[in-house]
Parts: sequence; C-alpha cells; structure tokens
Amino acid sequence: MSLLNNLEHPTDARIWRGDLPVYHRYTAGVAGEKFLRALKDQGAVYGTRCPTCGYVYVPARLYCERDATHLDDSTWAPVGPAGALVSFSAVWVDLDGKRLDAPQWVGLVRLKGASSVLMHYLQTPTGALHAGMTVQAVLKPANERVGSITDIAYFKPL
Amino acid sequence: MNRTVDIVGVGWSGFGSITPDLSYKEMIFQAATRAYADAGIDPRNDAQGFVTAAEDYHEGTSIFDEYTPDQLGAVLRPMHTITGDGLHALAAAYMNIASGLMNVVVVEAHSKASNILTLDHITAFAEDPTFERPLAINPVALAGLEMQRGLDAGRYTVEQCAQVVVKNKNNALANPAAAYAAAIGKKPVLEAQPLATPLTRLMAASHADGAIVFVLADSDTAKRFKGKPVRVRGIGWANDTPALDSREWLDAKYARKAAEMAYRVAQIRHPRGEIDFAEVDDTFAYKELQHLEALQLTEPGQAGALTEQGATERAGALPVNPSGGGLGVGSLLDANGLARALEVVLQLRGEAGARQLHKANTGLAFAWRGLPTTSGAAVVLSN
Repeated sequence: MSLLNNLEHPTDARIWRGDLPVYHRYTAGVAGEKFLRALKDQGAVYGTRCPTCGYVYVPARLYCERDATHLDDSTWAPVGPAGALVSFSAVWVDLDGKRLDAPQWVGLVRLKGASSVLMHYLQTPTGALHAGMTVQAVLKPANERVGSITDIAYFKPL
Repeated sequence: MNRTVDIVGVGWSGFGSITPDLSYKEMIFQAATRAYADAGIDPRNDAQGFVTAAEDYHEGTSIFDEYTPDQLGAVLRPMHTITGDGLHALAAAYMNIASGLMNVVVVEAHSKASNILTLDHITAFAEDPTFERPLAINPVALAGLEMQRGLDAGRYTVEQCAQVVVKNKNNALANPAAAYAAAIGKKPVLEAQPLATPLTRLMAASHADGAIVFVLADSDTAKRFKGKPVRVRGIGWANDTPALDSREWLDAKYARKAAEMAYRVAQIRHPRGEIDFAEVDDTFAYKELQHLEALQLTEPGQAGALTEQGATERAGALPVNPSGGGLGVGSLLDANGLARALEVVLQLRGEAGARQLHKANTGLAFAWRGLPTTSGAAVVLSN
C-alpha cells in the first residue's frame, strides 16, 4: 500500500467537527407566487396547460419543460380537488434517520385535470390503499393557510 | 476524426463502512498511487489533465473543487470537478482525450460517507425548496413511492427485489473490497425493518467509504504503458426532469437515454447479444431491475423473473453486478459509477479473482446519481 505510517490504534484516530448555519430565501417566482396565493386565498389548486403539447403542470409553472413554451395567464385553470392515487408509501424514518413510532404516509396524486402528480401527505389509511383509487385534497382552514404547499393538510381516500 | 480511448490503470482504496484512520485526501492518495503503479506512469510527467466528481455538501467543504489537485499529483495542472457521478467525470476525461486536447487524463471519485452526519438532510435539501421540501419527509420516501409504482404496474414483485439483494450480497462474498457482503437468504431481506414501504432496510444499499482512480489514455499512448488497456467503446449520459411532479415514475428514462447514447457511440445495435455482463446501479434493489429494462438488457417486466431464474447470477446468461453492486460493495456516493466501471475493467482484464466471469469481452457500467435525481451515465468497455 501507499502509506508507510498507518495508524495502528483506534484511539489514535481523531476527528474534528465542523458545521455551517445554512439559511436561504427562495423566491417562489411569478408562477409559484400566483399558485400559492390562490391556494391561500381561494383554497384552489391551479395548473397550467401547455398550448403546444397539452401537458398540465401542477403546481402551475411559467414554462413547459417539454417544449420550452411560455405558459401565460390564459393557460391557468383549477384542477382537483379530487384525484387518482398513483403511488403511496408508509415512511418509517424521519429526516434525522430516526425510526418513527407510527409511519408518515405519503402519496403521489394525479389531481383531476392534471398531467403531473403531486407528492403530499396521505391521511393514515384505515383500509388497504391501491393505485387508481380516488383521493381528495383536504385544505387547512382559511385562517390557518399561509401560502405554502402545506396549506393542503393531506389527501384522504374517498 | 475521434481518437480511441483506453483505461490503462485503475486503483482504489477501501471499501469500508468506516475509515477512521484515513482522511479523504489520504484515501485518494492511496487509490491514485495504486492506479499510477498499475498504469506504470508518473503523474507529474505523464498526465496532462485530471477530473474529479464531487459534491460540496457531501464533502462538507465549500468550493470543494479547489481541494482536489494535491492528493492526485495535479498541482499546477489542468484540473476540474464535475458535480455528478464518477462516470460523468469519466466522460469528461474521455472527451479531453478523444478531442486530441490531451493524451493522458486521470479520473477520481470518492466517498467519505461516514463523515457525513446529516446525509438525509442533505439529500432532502436537493429537493425543490417551494413545493417539495416543506413536507419534511425523509427522501427515502421517493424510493418507496417509485418501488410501489413498479409493483402496481406488474414490473416486478417484492420477492424478486429481495432476490436482487440475495444475489448481490452473496456475489460480494467473492469481492475482498466489498463492505457489505453477506450469505443471506430472502427471508431476512423481506422481514427487515421497513424504510418506506414496500422498501425494507436491506433493500437499500448502505454507505461505504472509499476512493477510486482511473488513468485514461489515447490508444497510441496507451501502447507505451505497461498496463493491459481496456477500450472505452462508448459513453453516454442523460437527465430526466428534476421535478417530482413531472418526472417519469415507472421507467428509468434517464437510463434508457444514457445507454442509447453509449450504444450509439460504441456501435452496439443489439445490447442483449453484444453485452456479456453488466454492473448497474442497485442503490435500491428494485433499481437494478428497473435499470436492466431501461438499458435494453431485458424485456420490460422480465428482469425480475430472469433474476429469480438465476440468469443474472455470475454463472447465468447475463451476469449483473458480479462485484456485489452497491448492495454488496456499499454505496460510494459520487464514486458509485467508478465502482461499477472498476469491476468491469477487472473482469475484462481477467483479474477479478474468485468472481472472474467465463465470458467477459464487453461489459456495461451504469450509474444513477441517487436520490432525488434522475441523472444517469453509462459506459461500454471492451478488452
């Protein structure tokens, strides 16, 4: 091997710790701002339909990633609040990697009228979940909404 | 006209679940020393360029590309870092040589995963800050959702995914460098603690530390070196969208596109007949099956059945991850692709020891950059 003076005792192996406070602001953008305001003020979920390819983006976007078309105000339309469950998972670890006492349920939901899916919380199911079943967005009360994707509290199976 | 490019030397340090004795620089120095000895080169006089693949948050160091030259012998030499997988770095080196800009280029990637204290937070920080991150879900959820999608579409079964783990961890028993080899059956895999259903803890590759260095040269220069050259016949890469909402959740399109490019460059028209064996990303067990189909090495929906039949074992018709893959070797973060390619090189040189394949003339290495990305890279190598 290339090293001639290897450590031979675990107690000789030391570490240094380092950390960094990382705080950012993220601009929601023209489309993001409009989408989040509609969610907060109207309790409505909006998508944008690309006039070139017909794909409906939820959350709404300013441009189509498939053909680089600008998605102007005329392309905005509400979607949902019901949709089809595309996939689901019970997540047993938190962001620190610690095991949870009860799983956090998440799903991919294709809202009615959307081409894309939305990842969000699922209400803890009382029965079996299956792909294709209808679920509906449950919004937080208007006075608790802040203009965040979490203004949707969760999706519940119908 | 493009020049042909060979891998003329390989070296590695590791792999281990922890490496308390060596700093990441010392691991790289160790891997580089072996690679330079393998190629028979003096890096200060023979190498014109150096490329590393690394990601600042994985390193815990801002502007990490400034920290790559010294341990490789690359001070005061052309050097740059690719924020992607090691195979993306290999592609950059390939282009430097094929274009005629340089004759000998060194590629490096490494993992010091054991030094990262908040990896799940870092992975979650790679999600969209406005629409995805506020949910504060462990990103392994994405693997659970994608695996469930494949199950519902009938692409594979949970048992077939477990068989991938069994195969790869058992393959790793013959690989002295593997950190997670195990003589294991399906039952403990299926009954392991759930991470994000239907994914269990043993269906996800655990992280390992290590460093890998390749030396590449144009084929004329390669003749001057002592190593057994392995030809880079084709290389390709592709990304799907980063957005969780509009990405493809069933097929690995990034893998299909990356392989199509690599096959086109390599002039491979019938991958199933022309690729003898493959090392493909198996960060999550279902990913091996999903990737095999996208790489056109099996029919859609057939990878699981072929795995159960033993076709992808070392003695099978299409050996897959004879090294043990990420599940057996360990996940090496940005070095995963070079780990896959390293095994292909060793097999093609006939230097894979107890795990040497009988037929190893052309092999494929495929890397996925891991959660939450849809970034893939493929390389076709021949002896």
